[in-house]
Amino acid sequence: MRNRIIGFKEWLSLPGGFGILTGSVMLGVIILLGIIIPNFGPYKSDAFVGDPFLPPSRNHPFGLDQLGRDVMTRTFSSVGVDLGVAFLGVSIPLIIGTIIGILLGLAKNRHVANLVGSIIDGINAFPLLIIAVAMLTFLGTGLKNVVIILAISNWARYARISRTRAVVVSKQNYIEASKTLGYSRKRIILKHIAPNVSSETVAYALSDFILVIVVVSGLSFLGLATQPPMAEWGSMIADGRAFISISWWLVIFPGLALCWSAISLSFIVEGISRRDRGN
Amino acid sequence: MLRTILSRLGRALSVGFWVMVISFSIMRIIPGDPAAARLGGVEQDAIEVLRKELNLDGSIMQQFSTYIVGLLKGDLGVSLQTGRSVTDIIGSTLPLTVYLIIFSTFFAFVLSIPLGTAIAWSGRASIVYSFRVITSIILAIPNFFIAMIGILIFTVRVNWSPVFGYEPQFPQNLKYLWLPVLVNTIIMISVISRVLFSSVVETKEEEFVETGIIRGVGRRKFFWFYILKPSLAPTVVLLSYMMGAMLGATVILETIFTLPGIGRELVNAVLTSDYPVVQGILLIFGVLTVLLSFIGDIVAYVLDRRVKI
Repeated sequence: MRNRIIGFKEWLSLPGGFGILTGSVMLGVIILLGIIIPNFGPYKSDAFVGDPFLPPSRNHPFGLDQLGRDVMTRTFSSVGVDLGVAFLGVSIPLIIGTIIGILLGLAKNRHVANLVGSIIDGINAFPLLIIAVAMLTFLGTGLKNVVIILAISNWARYARISRTRAVVVSKQNYIEASKTLGYSRKRIILKHIAPNVSSETVAYALSDFILVIVVVSGLSFLGLATQPPMAEWGSMIADGRAFISISWWLVIFPGLALCWSAISLSFIVEGISRRDRGN
Repeated sequence: MLRTILSRLGRALSVGFWVMVISFSIMRIIPGDPAAARLGGVEQDAIEVLRKELNLDGSIMQQFSTYIVGLLKGDLGVSLQTGRSVTDIIGSTLPLTVYLIIFSTFFAFVLSIPLGTAIAWSGRASIVYSFRVITSIILAIPNFFIAMIGILIFTVRVNWSPVFGYEPQFPQNLKYLWLPVLVNTIIMISVISRVLFSSVVETKEEEFVETGIIRGVGRRKFFWFYILKPSLAPTVVLLSYMMGAMLGATVILETIFTLPGIGRELVNAVLTSDYPVVQGILLIFGVLTVLLSFIGDIVAYVLDRRVKI
């Protein structure tokens, strides 16, 4: 009885419940702050509001940066940028990769499927950050290009998972049964194979989200993703690095926000995988 | 056994071939002319010269065969920025990166074995739970932030590590290397000990372990043959994968610590649009990753024949 409706307390007591709850609350908090502080807060993210390097105080809890901008406003206006780019950088490859993987897994022509399969292995051989950095050289830097590059390079990981899964699923009895019942190939793929494959790729997408956040902020840390004066955690940390000996708050607060987001996701992922394993 | 290894080698070679094709095509699949993009709006002659230098003239098959012939001769082109050969640049920057990764892996492996097995052996729910929480927190933190905290503590607070620079001579270089190695080691311990932990937990359930206890095998032999050796295979596979991932991560680490490794060379090449260097380093990264995962799978197979590779 998978879909039995259970109370919140019972849900929480199942394996991983606490992790999923903590992670979701943490994620919700930072998304809310990311909406409220930049839009309804007293400062603008690129406005000069005081003396440069002003340490954290009551008016500016995270202090001011090298140009006298409010670090708290900038830290929270990055939430939308980082999580937004990472969301696109995960969901586009997820969709493309799952579809390609299913097609490969069901392909009648083994030679073509194997050929595409080894191209996929070739793409996956490169660390994601490396292939992203290399492609940015030719495509040019910028957030839009980061999304494009993640789409081009990251789909292969999903395609690999999806292909393996599609092969397994297509051999299951219920697929045979649907064939016997005379359902069309299209219906079998859409109603029976796709949902079973995508549950696997979506699960991977959640943990990939953490990796992609790190890659996106890493790229902008290297100065390849965002242009000033846009606020983004990686670039804020990179800018603050030069002044780390006089003002730690330039690096620590954006870094903590970045870690907070990644850790909240990792609690959710850990919780879900514990629930699936059942311990 | 030989057949398994040979078929794995065949797969490594085929992936290696595609790695080569991808590094060749990365400059070519992106819309626009890289030569024109680099030079800006100058006269056509200069663009033609650069196109020739970048191996962008002629048909795509001609370009590819020129590329392959160059590769076989160990020729990866010449840097547009400095005029040095790319092979030379890789040869002079790769060793530092490799040392960095080997040392971190070594320390992480040595520390993870007691940590992972001890936690699996204790079986106490509270210890296991906090181990899981702590390692998943460490793994979610980007390496550049861990590095920043390291710099804040060891460079700004206590002056144990220099801020910038590097000296290649042996005893002096440790001063610059220990902090990046520490950062890498912390991250790798979290991954390796987690996997070792779960595979020791699984191994403990196996029937042969019970047999070992009943037969009264000596403590040291029991620990090595019955517990550690069967648990190591998944760890080794992961280790080889992680070393590949670490290659990617060193790009950021070397930039932070201004170490003259291959990662920083790549970033410099990207920032100066030095296409041949980018292409060459990309190839090396791909080939190394394929090689590492091949070695990892073979070692795992030798340790435990039940492993599918």
